[in-house]
Amino acid sequence: MLKFILRRIGVSALVLLGASFLMYMLVINSGDPLKDLRESNAQNREQLMAQRAELLRLDDSPLERYWDWLSGVLGCFTGNCDLGVTINGVQVLGLTQQAAASSLRLITLATLLAIVVGVALGILTAIRQYSGFDYTITFSAFLFFSLPVFWAATLLKEYAAIQYNNWIAVGQYAPWTIVIAAAVVGFVLQAVLGGSTRRRLVTAGSAFAFVAVVMFVFNALNWWREPTFGLAGVLVVSGAAGVLVTALVTGLRNRRVLYAALTTTVVGVVAYLAFAPLLVNQPSWLLLAGLFVLTLLVSAGIGAAWGGFSRRQAVLVTLVTGVITSLLVVGDILIANWASFLGLKSRPISTIGSQTPNFTGDFWERVLDMGTQIILPTVLLTLVSVATHSRYTRSSMLETLNQDYVRTARSKGLSEREVIVKHAFRNALIPITTIVAFDFAALIGGAVITEQVFGWKGMGALFQDGLNAVDPAPVMAFFLVTGVAAVLMNLVADLAYAALDPRIRR
Amino acid sequence: MKIRRLSAAVAVAASGALLLSACTSPAGNDEPAEGESTAASAAADGPCKADIGDVTTADGEIKVSNEDEFLGYNSNTPETYSTYNTAVTDRLFSGFWYWGVDGTVCPDEAYGTYEAVSEDPLQVEYTLNDEAAWSDGTPVTYADYLLDWAAQAVTEDGKVTDDASETPLFNHISGLTLGDYVPEGPQADSPDAKSFTYDYERVNADWRILINSPFPAHVVAEQAGVSTEELVTAIQDLDMDVLKKAAEFWNEGWLSQPGEVPDPALAPVTGQYDFKADGWEAGQYITLEANDKYWGTPAATKELTFRVVGADAQIQALANGDLDAINPNGPTVDTVQQLEQLGDAVKVETGQTLTWEHLDFNFGSGVFADSLEAREAFAYCVPRQKIVDDLIKPIDPEAVVMNAREVFPFQTEDYEATVSEAYDGRYDEVDLDAAKEKFEAAGLEEGTTIRIGYAAPNPRRAAEVEAIKASCDQVGFDIQDSAAEDFFDKDLPNGDYEVALFAWQGSGQITSGENIYSSTGQQNYGKYSDETVDEAWKTLSSTTDEAVHAEQRVVIEKQLWDTLFGIPLFAHPGVIASSSSVSNVRATAAQGGVVWNAEQWSRAS
Repeated sequence: MLKFILRRIGVSALVLLGASFLMYMLVINSGDPLKDLRESNAQNREQLMAQRAELLRLDDSPLERYWDWLSGVLGCFTGNCDLGVTINGVQVLGLTQQAAASSLRLITLATLLAIVVGVALGILTAIRQYSGFDYTITFSAFLFFSLPVFWAATLLKEYAAIQYNNWIAVGQYAPWTIVIAAAVVGFVLQAVLGGSTRRRLVTAGSAFAFVAVVMFVFNALNWWREPTFGLAGVLVVSGAAGVLVTALVTGLRNRRVLYAALTTTVVGVVAYLAFAPLLVNQPSWLLLAGLFVLTLLVSAGIGAAWGGFSRRQAVLVTLVTGVITSLLVVGDILIANWASFLGLKSRPISTIGSQTPNFTGDFWERVLDMGTQIILPTVLLTLVSVATHSRYTRSSMLETLNQDYVRTARSKGLSEREVIVKHAFRNALIPITTIVAFDFAALIGGAVITEQVFGWKGMGALFQDGLNAVDPAPVMAFFLVTGVAAVLMNLVADLAYAALDPRIRR
Repeated sequence: MKIRRLSAAVAVAASGALLLSACTSPAGNDEPAEGESTAASAAADGPCKADIGDVTTADGEIKVSNEDEFLGYNSNTPETYSTYNTAVTDRLFSGFWYWGVDGTVCPDEAYGTYEAVSEDPLQVEYTLNDEAAWSDGTPVTYADYLLDWAAQAVTEDGKVTDDASETPLFNHISGLTLGDYVPEGPQADSPDAKSFTYDYERVNADWRILINSPFPAHVVAEQAGVSTEELVTAIQDLDMDVLKKAAEFWNEGWLSQPGEVPDPALAPVTGQYDFKADGWEAGQYITLEANDKYWGTPAATKELTFRVVGADAQIQALANGDLDAINPNGPTVDTVQQLEQLGDAVKVETGQTLTWEHLDFNFGSGVFADSLEAREAFAYCVPRQKIVDDLIKPIDPEAVVMNAREVFPFQTEDYEATVSEAYDGRYDEVDLDAAKEKFEAAGLEEGTTIRIGYAAPNPRRAAEVEAIKASCDQVGFDIQDSAAEDFFDKDLPNGDYEVALFAWQGSGQITSGENIYSSTGQQNYGKYSDETVDEAWKTLSSTTDEAVHAEQRVVIEKQLWDTLFGIPLFAHPGVIASSSSVSNVRATAAQGGVVWNAEQWSRAS
C-alpha cells in the first residue's frame, strides 16, 4: 500500500512539473504585460516600460524565468519559500495563503453540503425512479447545472439578501405566504414519500397542517427576530437524529445501537448544560475544537460500551449522533444570539464580503456575522454541485440496484433498508468517490465567478488578476494550489476506493 | 454635468427644513433626526470642494466601493500607482492643490499657498501653513519637499538629472521630470523652513500641478540612520551613502502585505483621514479613521471604509446597504437602468469624465496619409451624433459630441471659447453627398479598404465601427473592423491600420497634448506632422501666461481640424450613486473618482 502511495505521489509530482512548465509558458505568452503603459500618455512612459520589463524580467529567456520560479518553489522544501512578487510588488506567498484560506473556507462547507445533499437526493431519486419526485429533482438538477452562476448570484442577492433583509426588519409571515409554503411542503413531501392516493393525501394534508401551524406559531412568537430553540429543542431533535441514524445503519430492531444513540444524545445535552457557562462566557475556536474532540471520544466510548456484538456499527451511529448533537448545541447558542446580532446588524445578509467591516460583536455574534456572509455563496456553489452529485449518484445507484446480487439479497428476505444501505449503496459509492474528489479540486478553480460576484478575494481573484496583468507569479501560485489539491484529492479517492472495495486492497 | 436626483433631493430637504423651522407643520411629530452630523449639505458651487461650514466629526462609518486591493502608503511607485490605491492614499495626504470636478486645479489653502513670483524665468514660491504637521507631530517642512524633489531628480549615479533619461535612484512614477526642470531643487533658509522656492531652468506651463504633497522626510531620515538635518545636507551634497539607504526605504519600505496596517511611526499622514489600527482585512476592506491631528476642517464622518468590490456587484450592494457610495468602472446602459430601479433610496449622478474617445488617421501609410480629401470624405460620413445618441446618451442623457481635443465639453467656458474659433461644425451631421464629392476628388476607388483598429474586446467600439461602416460604406469606403487584442503592441506601432479608435485619459496637464500632436511626440502614433501645430505647442509650453495658453490652444485645435489629425467623438460617461442617507457625495470628471471629497460626506441618521 505504502509503495503504491509513494509511486502515485512520484508520478503526480512529475505531472505537476510538466504542467507547471506548460502553464508558465502559456501565461507569459498570454498577452502583453506592458499593455496599460502603451496606452498611457505619461511623459516618462519609456522609463516606466523599462522598469516594468525589469521587474517582470521580460528581456530574459522564458526558460531562465521558469527556472527562477521553480527554484523559488523548490525552496519551500528547505524552508525558504519564494513564490515571487506580483506586478504590484506584493509577496505572492502571503497573498496565496490569504487567498487559499478564504477560498477553502468557502469551498469546504459547500462541498460537504453538496455531497450530503447530492448523494441523499441521488439515492432517493434512484429508489423512486420515474416518480413525480424523480422528475422534479431531475428537472431541477438540470436547471441548476445549467444556471449561469453570475445570473443566479444576482437573483440570490435580490431575494435571499435584499428582500430577506427587508422582511426580517418585521419578521412576520403574511397569511398567503403561510398557505403557499405549507402547500408546497405538503406537495413535495407526498411526492417523496409516495404510496397510494389515499396515503399521499394524508401525507400532504398533515404536512400542510403542521407547517401552517408552525409558521403561525413562529409569527406569534416573533420567532424570526427573537428565536429560541432551547435545551428541549436540542434534546428532541438530536434524539430524533439518533433514531434516524440508527434506523439507517442497523435498523431499529438492534436495541443496543438504538440505546447507544439515545445515550449519546442525553450525555450530549447534559454536557451542554455543564459547559454552557464556559461556552457563553469564554468562547473561542480553541474551546470549540477541544469540545468537539471530546465529543468524538465520548461518543465513541458510549458506542463501544453499548455495542456488544455490533460494536462497529454502534460506534459509527454514536459518532454521527454525537456530531449532530454538537452541531445542534452550537446552533442553539447561535440562535439565542440572533436577536442581539440583529441589534448590531439590522440587515443581516450582505451581498458582498466575507465579513462585515469593523464588526464589533462578541464571539458568537462574529460567528453569526461570518455565517450570514457565507450563506449566499455557499448556497450557489452547493446548488451547482448538488446537481452533478445527485445525477451521478442516481445513475450509479440504479446500476447497482439492477445487479444480480441485489436481487439475491432481496430474495433471501433482507429488509429493503439492508438491501439499499448495505448492499447497493456501498457499491454505488465507488464511482461517486471519484466525482466528489475531482469536484473538490475543481471547485477551487471553479469558484472564480462566485468569488468575484460576492466580493471574496480568493484563489479566483488571484488567478484572474494575475492573468489580466500577464503576471506569472500569482497565476502559478494558483496553479500550485489547485494542482496539488487535484493530486491530493485523487490520492484520497484511491485510498477511499481501497476502503470501500476490498478487492482493491490486495 | 447632470445632477438629476440630487437637485430634487436638495429641494425636498430644503422645503422640509422650511416647514420645520416655521413650526406650523400639522405633522408635528416629524422630529428632526438625532445625532445628525453638523456638516451641512451645501449646494455645489464651482468646480472645487463646496464650503460646508463648521464641521465636527460625527461617529459612524461610510462605506465606498474600490475595485482593487490597497497596496501601500506610497502610491508614487510604478508598482503601486493606480486609481484604486490613490483613492485611499489621497485621503491620507493633503497638498497644495487638488483636482476640481471639471479638472480645474483647486488650491487647498488650509495646507499652504503658492504663487509664481516670477514668470520668466519661472520661480514659484510655496508657503506651508504654520499648523501643517504630520500626524506624529512633526511639522511639514522644507525637508519633506527637498526629499520629494530628490526622489524625482537624483540618478542612480548620484547626479542630478540632465535630461530625465537616466536611470533614477528612486522608483518614482514620474521619473526625473521635476529634476529636469528644477535642477537646483527647492531653496530655503533652513531644513525646517515653512517657505521655499523652486527655480525653473526653463518654463513649465504645468507648474501648478508639479508640486503637491510629499512623504515624511523625518521617517525616511530615521530609516536611513540619520537626522532630518543630515538627510537635507546629504541631498544637497548628493551623499550617496545616505541617499541609497533613503531610496531603498522610499522604494520598498512602504509596501504593505495585504491586511497589515502600516506602522503609524512609519506612515504618518497629513490628511483628514488616517489608518485605523486593525482596519484592514486582506481582500475585503480597509478602513480609515478621522485624523484627530488634522489642523483644518476635519472629516465629517469618523470612519471611511473602502470595500473591495467588482463593478458588477456594486449596485446590489448599494441597494442592500453594504455600500453607501459606488463608482462602477465602465458603466453601461444596464448600470444606469438598475440604479434607476432603486428609486428614491439612492441618488444617481451621471456625467462625463476626463477620458475621451477619438478616431485618429494614419499619416505614416495608407490612403489617408497624404490625402486631405480622403480624410475629409471619411470625416463627412462618420455618424458622430448617431454614435453618441445610440451608445452614450442611454448612460448619460446630457452627453454631446465632442468637438475639441484639449478641452472637454463640461469645461463649458473654455470649451465654447475654443470650439467657436476652431471648428465651424462642418462634420456635425453626416453629409454623404459632400463625402462622395471628396471621395472622388481624392481619386479613391470604390471599395477602398479602411481598417479601423482598436484593442479588443470592446463591445462599445465594435458598435461604433458598425455604425461607421453602415454610413461610410455608402460613400465607397469598405470599412473593416480590425480589432486585435494586441492592437497597441503590434498594429498601432507598426502602422497596420488606416484609422485608430481609442481613448486618451485627460491628465489635466496643459501640455500633455504636445506628446500627441507634435511631430516628435512619443504618442504621435500616426506620424502626424504639421509646422503650425509644432510651433503653437512650443509657444504654449514655454509660457505660464494663461491667455497665451488659450490663444495657442485655438491655433492648435483649428489646425488639427483643418488638416484632420483625427476626429474626436465623445467624453466617456461616468456614473456614481450614493445612498440617499449620505449627503455631499458629488461626481467628478477627474480621475480621483467619487471619493475625491469623501471627507465631506456625512450621514443623516
